Amino acid sequence: MNLEDELRSALRRHEPSPDFTARVLARVAAAPMRQAPRPWVRWVAALAAALLLAVGGLGYRQYQGERAKSQMLLAMRIAASKLNKAQKKVQMITHRSNS
Amino acid sequence: MKAAGCLIALGLLAGLAPAQDVKWNYDKLAAKASDTVEVSLSGGLLRLATKFLSDDDKDEAQVKKLVGGLKGIYVKSFEFKKPGDYSAADVDSFRTPLRAPDWERIVGVHSTEDGETVEVYIKNEGKNIGGLAIIATEPKQVTLVNIVGPIDLDSLSELGGHFGIPEVEVEKKK
Repeated sequence: MNLEDELRSALRRHEPSPDFTARVLARVAAAPMRQAPRPWVRWVAALAAALLLAVGGLGYRQYQGERAKSQMLLAMRIAASKLNKAQKKVQMITHRSNS
Repeated sequence: MKAAGCLIALGLLAGLAPAQDVKWNYDKLAAKASDTVEVSLSGGLLRLATKFLSDDDKDEAQVKKLVGGLKGIYVKSFEFKKPGDYSAADVDSFRTPLRAPDWERIVGVHSTEDGETVEVYIKNEGKNIGGLAIIATEPKQVTLVNIVGPIDLDSLSELGGHFGIPEVEVEKKK
């Protein structure tokens, strides 16, 4: 038998056994069905994600606000101190010229 | 202000064009300064900061009342390593935009003893004060303040004695 014959023999069509279809169908029926997640699970997941985002957003807002507040206080502190310094010097000059 | 390299600027503001009333160019001083303090608050951030000021705390309540109608607060303070690191011409450039009729210098004091100068300018908006600008120099420090919006100078001055600012005793006329 030459190579060509060997290949033809190996690759020739084999008919499945008569009960093949029945066996496949039986196995499919026996396999556990994968259930789709229940609707409430999706809702809970969405809610948890939204809650996380909201908490994160609020936290960031709080941080931003506190930082802006401290900057404002610093700015007013500097402005007030310079204004006071000018006021003090004016008073000193006025006091000297009066005395 | 001694904190080395202290640059207090909200990164959040980086992308926003500041609505500063006075167009000051800080580049020259910034290049010579060893330390810089910057506060830049406007718009939404200013309102947010105001919301965070407590009504229960006396000092904060006072500031809250004071900044209620403001549109912007801008402060730049430059520190230098030694006297003479900045020139008089550097400071002159900050006076240029503060000209009449919009601006009026209400106080200008100079002390030869300690080499300090403080100039206070107000922006006239009819009969009201529409803004405040302060140029304060010391041998090793230059501070620029620009407050945009109606500001009560008496209230700002009243902050003296708070936040560790020494209070100035106002002499009453007899």
